[in-house]
Amino acid sequence: MSAIVTKNLSKIYRELGKASVKSLDGLDLTIEKNEVYGFLGRNGAGKTTTIKLLCGLLKPTSGEATVFGESVRTPQARRLIGYLPEQPYFYEYLTPKETIDFYGKLQKLSPAERAHQWDKLSELLDLRDIANQRLKGFSKGMRQRIGFAVALVGNPPLLILDEPMSGLDPIGRRMIRDLIMRCRDEKKTIFFSSHVMSDVEQICDRVSIMVKGKLTHRGRIDQLLAQKTKAVEVIAVGLSEELRTALGGIAQSHRPLDEQDIFNFADEGEANDAVQRIQQGGGRIVQFSPIRESLEDFFLRQQEPTVEEVV
Amino acid sequence: MRILAIAQNTFRESIRDKVLYVLLFFAAVTIFGSKALGWISIGQDIKIVKDIALSATSIFGILIAIFVGTSLIYKEIDKRTLYTILAQPMHRYEFILGKYLGLVALLAVVTVTMALVSSLYILMLGGTLQVTFFLAILLIYGKLLLITAFAVLMSSLTSPILGAIIVFSVAVFGHATEVFRDLPPQFEGTSAKAILEAVYYVVPNLSNFDLAQEAANGIEVSGAYVIWVMAYGLLYTVMLLILAALAFQEKDV
Repeated sequence: MSAIVTKNLSKIYRELGKASVKSLDGLDLTIEKNEVYGFLGRNGAGKTTTIKLLCGLLKPTSGEATVFGESVRTPQARRLIGYLPEQPYFYEYLTPKETIDFYGKLQKLSPAERAHQWDKLSELLDLRDIANQRLKGFSKGMRQRIGFAVALVGNPPLLILDEPMSGLDPIGRRMIRDLIMRCRDEKKTIFFSSHVMSDVEQICDRVSIMVKGKLTHRGRIDQLLAQKTKAVEVIAVGLSEELRTALGGIAQSHRPLDEQDIFNFADEGEANDAVQRIQQGGGRIVQFSPIRESLEDFFLRQQEPTVEEVV
Repeated sequence: MRILAIAQNTFRESIRDKVLYVLLFFAAVTIFGSKALGWISIGQDIKIVKDIALSATSIFGILIAIFVGTSLIYKEIDKRTLYTILAQPMHRYEFILGKYLGLVALLAVVTVTMALVSSLYILMLGGTLQVTFFLAILLIYGKLLLITAFAVLMSSLTSPILGAIIVFSVAVFGHATEVFRDLPPQFEGTSAKAILEAVYYVVPNLSNFDLAQEAANGIEVSGAYVIWVMAYGLLYTVMLLILAALAFQEKDV
């Protein structure tokens, strides 16, 4: 059974006297168990709407979604989900310990279970020193730690995290990344939205890319990126001035470094032609390396306006 | 347990609301100031103190129910504290009920405090207290249960300001529902008469809960009447809470 399945999931926001906004358009998504799944898109692409639909905070306009086979509209489904909203907010007058206890009560955990949860989570998220301080005045990083702890109350098998690293300093981001990896090692499924590509590239198995409420790409990162070579770098030595100038005119870029000439060609065809000309002209190839797209390049390319939009 | 946890939290939250203390301050000023009116009407001072103390308990109780109640759900959405709560394995009606119970627990504390202060003040002034005075307090609380339920309904439907205006209007007209029934003759045969008559039957008759005159004049009130009014209030309260739960069930947050 898959961890998350959505079928034709759509959400249109309608407000009296305002134009309706289609925030999510026919999303079909399947996320397997024990996957770390990245959900990418710009602000307003429909990521948070999808997450809120999965957590039962919004009602879909059409379509359906299940987690581990349970409809997301039921409390049973929410028992299986640990949710961390973007910029989580909690009652300011509670302490971290009281906050964890409160959410434990909402999950009907016994006092002993709640005490156990606190022991475990306060150690995992380093909350012991701030256990009895009120949340009012806590930094973003501290709130994020508490939010993560709240998501883990009751040990749910699925974590849904909305921009968990947004606005955090490098140490905070590293901590969240490590926590996600740790949860994956504990056989949890993690579905998270982000626009920090480097983080996604490091920890995700598969990703989906959303553009304006529609899913445009999905798959394993290596497969998505293998589809396109950004450029081919050719490094050569012993080139005549004439050949250097000629190749420089064809290449995307050219720069000399010591005795070497470094060329970047747009595709392999151009690069192969250049290699032939270098060898015929008495030069020597030092390196021939295709440069694959990074996830960020790929993501940005998906955001470019289509021909129709430009017109 | 979930409802109780939310109720406890709501109580802790509401008791920190500054509006509560401002209103309590004015309630205390009104109760203690009532003696001044007593001086004007010679020989009537205790009666007037009792009447004003009960009216102040009622009015300031209603204002607290309106101001705290109508922002109860809205504040949770606005401050985004609702997201992680509704994502828990709970029904939405549990949240509504928890919020409601937390606020009526606060109102119980407020009502008892005002009743205690009023009673001590009346005793200090040399007056006596009859059972009717305490029955009047009980019915004020019954009325607050009803108005709070309406405020919670409005809170799950609309903004605090609009909600407060609507609940305040209903509270005012609820004390004079007969104006909708005893219409001047020119309304005869018009559709406005039918609509206003419908309003008469829908808006709860809050003057049923008012025993200030009886308490001030030491007139006995039958237990059956008190039970009937409390049952009347509870019926409205339950209906309003069901509506609030239904409205909140489908709400996007």
